[in-house]
Amino acid sequence: MKRKIVIAASVAAVAALSLTACSGGSEPSGDATGPVTITVSGWSLDTTPEFQLLADGFHKSNPNITVKLKEYDPSNYNTLVTADLAAGTGPDVITQKEVKYVTTFQEGGQLLDLSDVKLPDGISGTDSYKVDGKLYAVPYRQDAWVLFYNKDLFDKAGVPTPDGSWTWDDYAAAAKELKTKLAAAGSKAYGAYQHTWQSTVQGFANNQSPDGGVLGGKYDYMKPYYERVLDLQKSGAQVTFNTATANQLTYQGEFGKQHAAMMMMGTWYVATLISQQASGDADQFTWGMAPAPQYDASTAGTDKTPVTFGDPTAFGVNANTDGAKQAAAKKFVEYAASEDAAKALAGIGITPALLNDNVVETYFATKGAPQDDLSKFAFSTHTVKPENPTSSKTAAIQNILNDMHSAIMSGSESIDKAISEAQDRVKNEVG
Amino acid sequence: MTATATMVTGAPRPSKPNTRMRLRVRNALIGWSFILPNFLGFALLTLVPVIALFYISFTNWNVFGVAHWTGLENFRRLLGDATFKTAFVNTLYYAVMHIPLTLVVSLGIALLLNTKLRGVAFFRTAAFFPYITSIVAIAMVWNLMFSPDYGPINQILRFIGIADPPGWLTSPQWAMPAVVIISTWRDMGYYMILFLAGLQTVPRELYEAARMDGANAWQRFVNVTIPCLRPTTFFVTVMLTINSFKIFDLILVMTKGGPGISTMVLSQFIWRKGFEENQFGYASAASVVLFLLCIVVTILQFLWNKRGSRA
Amino acid sequence: MSTILEAADESATATLLSAPRGRRPKATTPGKRAARLIGYLAMIIVAVALLVPFFWMISSSLKTSNDVFSVPVRWLPETFVWSNYVDIWTQTNLLTWIRNTLVLAVVVTFLQVLTGSFAAYGFARMRFRGRDILFLVYIGTIAVPWQSYMIPQFILMSDLKLSNTLWSIILLQAFGAFGVFLMKQFYETVPEELSEAARIDGLSEYGIWRRIMVPLSVPAIASLTLLTFVNTWNDYLGPLIYLRNPNLWTMQLGLQSLVSNTQDQNFALMFTGMTMSVVPIAIVFLLGQKYFVEGIATSGMKG
Repeated sequence: MKRKIVIAASVAAVAALSLTACSGGSEPSGDATGPVTITVSGWSLDTTPEFQLLADGFHKSNPNITVKLKEYDPSNYNTLVTADLAAGTGPDVITQKEVKYVTTFQEGGQLLDLSDVKLPDGISGTDSYKVDGKLYAVPYRQDAWVLFYNKDLFDKAGVPTPDGSWTWDDYAAAAKELKTKLAAAGSKAYGAYQHTWQSTVQGFANNQSPDGGVLGGKYDYMKPYYERVLDLQKSGAQVTFNTATANQLTYQGEFGKQHAAMMMMGTWYVATLISQQASGDADQFTWGMAPAPQYDASTAGTDKTPVTFGDPTAFGVNANTDGAKQAAAKKFVEYAASEDAAKALAGIGITPALLNDNVVETYFATKGAPQDDLSKFAFSTHTVKPENPTSSKTAAIQNILNDMHSAIMSGSESIDKAISEAQDRVKNEVG
Repeated sequence: MTATATMVTGAPRPSKPNTRMRLRVRNALIGWSFILPNFLGFALLTLVPVIALFYISFTNWNVFGVAHWTGLENFRRLLGDATFKTAFVNTLYYAVMHIPLTLVVSLGIALLLNTKLRGVAFFRTAAFFPYITSIVAIAMVWNLMFSPDYGPINQILRFIGIADPPGWLTSPQWAMPAVVIISTWRDMGYYMILFLAGLQTVPRELYEAARMDGANAWQRFVNVTIPCLRPTTFFVTVMLTINSFKIFDLILVMTKGGPGISTMVLSQFIWRKGFEENQFGYASAASVVLFLLCIVVTILQFLWNKRGSRA
Repeated sequence: MSTILEAADESATATLLSAPRGRRPKATTPGKRAARLIGYLAMIIVAVALLVPFFWMISSSLKTSNDVFSVPVRWLPETFVWSNYVDIWTQTNLLTWIRNTLVLAVVVTFLQVLTGSFAAYGFARMRFRGRDILFLVYIGTIAVPWQSYMIPQFILMSDLKLSNTLWSIILLQAFGAFGVFLMKQFYETVPEELSEAARIDGLSEYGIWRRIMVPLSVPAIASLTLLTFVNTWNDYLGPLIYLRNPNLWTMQLGLQSLVSNTQDQNFALMFTGMTMSVVPIAIVFLLGQKYFVEGIATSGMKG
């Protein structure tokens, strides 16, 4: 008797699951000419104005389409969106917060093919959303990693500021010199601050090394990058990984309160720094952006195109919408990539995927933005390679590489051992 | 004490079989009527998803679309997965350290604070504080305390002469012991409450009788307290064991499994495979293994308890 | 022959009226006094160790966000930012969060205690076929980590149109196995003879539950109430998955939202909220001590 109940219940459960998984929950699309409402997923709506900005801008040029924002928790965004899509209550426009998860949505049949959406020339980041030649999401934002530096601290130490032609060796030498001279000048600031994320080392190693690549399965090319970092830690030019982790240092705090003269960070930090300087949460000091240090002199210099990394953010369309809703969603996605939207985004300090001269000018017109040429160069002229290649193996490999990162940086394992372990794990677990 | 004894003891009676039948049915009906309100909610909202979980472990479901049956493939893959084995061993390592330590500490504190001394209410509240503090705050504070170069704990250790104090959460050898310390610190108030409640069920007269027989404090503890506490101790041990095998949130916020994978436990392996890499079938298989671990140990504890209570 | 209830009452009153338990002020030798002093000292040191993180939370709540984490650790703020305690009310939705958390905690605790103790009686006192297996099934579900069946459960709840409502959390937490297990263990400490005598007096099983078991298990009920309340109050993952609408957020969700966007974090404000979140529970526990420890002792049976 009991066994039959259990079997019946499990059959019912499975039936329920497979039914809902297949349904997708599309709502009846209204009259094609009548007013349409579409939902767009976003996060931290209070402190991330970009979504409302795009929604309002789109509505102005398409008055019969209303955009409703669905708020998600940013640190668990992927889990929550996945749960909603599985339950059939997902948004019409699925914001792709992280490139790592694009293939999951695409392979699960959740993303519509957007190859026919008109995109402006020169827009970057589309490669991250192409699978088998088809485009599954349209980027509206492309952050890139640059070198933030504190001019005041450089002056205090008497060290020449970056000139846009640095290689990593130049960077390391400057960091050490800064630390020594700042100490002599009576300041406790460090030469540089390196945040604990794996991307601060691996993002550059993967994309600047000639034989670099996350999916390759071989990671010896990371060795020189890690050696440099460990050397900087040992020399005292920057806070150690262990201390940064244990004391849970924040990059906004370290650079904003002038605990370090240099910091590698994504361009999203510009808007934060400007607003924190305005509110007093960060100190008042002169700062600028320089291009990221390069692998070698071949790409270093303001007459060349430096190589850096960064992932775009994009909008995808829920494959389970149809009719008027789908058309409206596609229109929204097209708008978000347009020059109008890019200018609007630049006006609030977001780095759009389309970076032409108009857009760059708008970006630097914000009060508090650095005005020097090098900053403008660093922001607008670079080759941005993806931090996360678009593949179903990326998430698993990145997890393994993150374990390797913490093992090396904490001093628990030697670089060689950690790299060879990571390679074995990738071979066994990911294949 | 006639008809009722039959109901309770269930001893076979030489009377009409009909009466026995009716009594059994009546017992069952009454028993179920008590259980039903809780069971309905439980069955629908917990039992059904759990059964679904078991089914999913035999598939390669990735949350979207239909689940394809793959039989024992997931389990075979687990057997060859070195990271899974590490997670399994880490889980056991954590449990073996955490369970006895917490048991002893929480029982000790409960005994100590089961008095009417002035100010004891304050100490009980202090013991309970770690449990009611948010886990995020706990992780942040203890990370600071255990900071190898600047944290107060290592500063004290250096002060008393230990020149090379452990790296704690930044060292693969010391990370798990550090987590165990924090976890015990956090849990002892919780289990202290349960032990305190249990200590109230020990009849005072038994203590008096023992004292009059000349038993000292230790003998009273062993011969009165421990036997009377048996149902509570059993409950605490089972919950502590299961919770230790399932440990998740503390590791996630404190170390995220690091450094490397030295503190990765089964729950975190499941989370990673399921929610970060979307291999839900595989993660479910690992969940089944965790479940089997818990249930086998729990059944052993049940049997041990039954044996003891018959004495 | 007086009923068992009166006997229980009598002995309980006798216990309460008898000389106070705990240490009598016997002749305190210097040795004993030194021992007690050391005992107090030890307890104070332990209490400090237990409260240090809380102290750090308060200290952080009085700093600016960028000063919360630093090298080296600063135990006292440089300047006391009292305005955080005002800002948390004006800059965030704290009132909504408190209201939601309170509603959830109270309703879940009430249901869990009621249905749990009710069901526990069935398991502890009633004998019927399949009882032990069913109980093992209950325990079995505790042995499965929640995140494993979270997605199937979420799909189920969404199909029932309960997701994104407070009802989802209430239904999920109110019928757990934990309460059943706890109460069952405590019911087993109540001597069977009490129930026997009550049955002879004609009391139904429900009557026994209401008039004997419940009053005699006040410490257990108090513990279950407290622990369920605290668990619901501090629950994060459940509300994260089910309570999407910011109007439904609980305190934990709301406070986390202050730091979850890595591009805009306010740690000081988060700690302000967390400090405020801990205080009500601590006060309730402090004032409710007598229910945990000084419940009615089951001293009704002699010999």
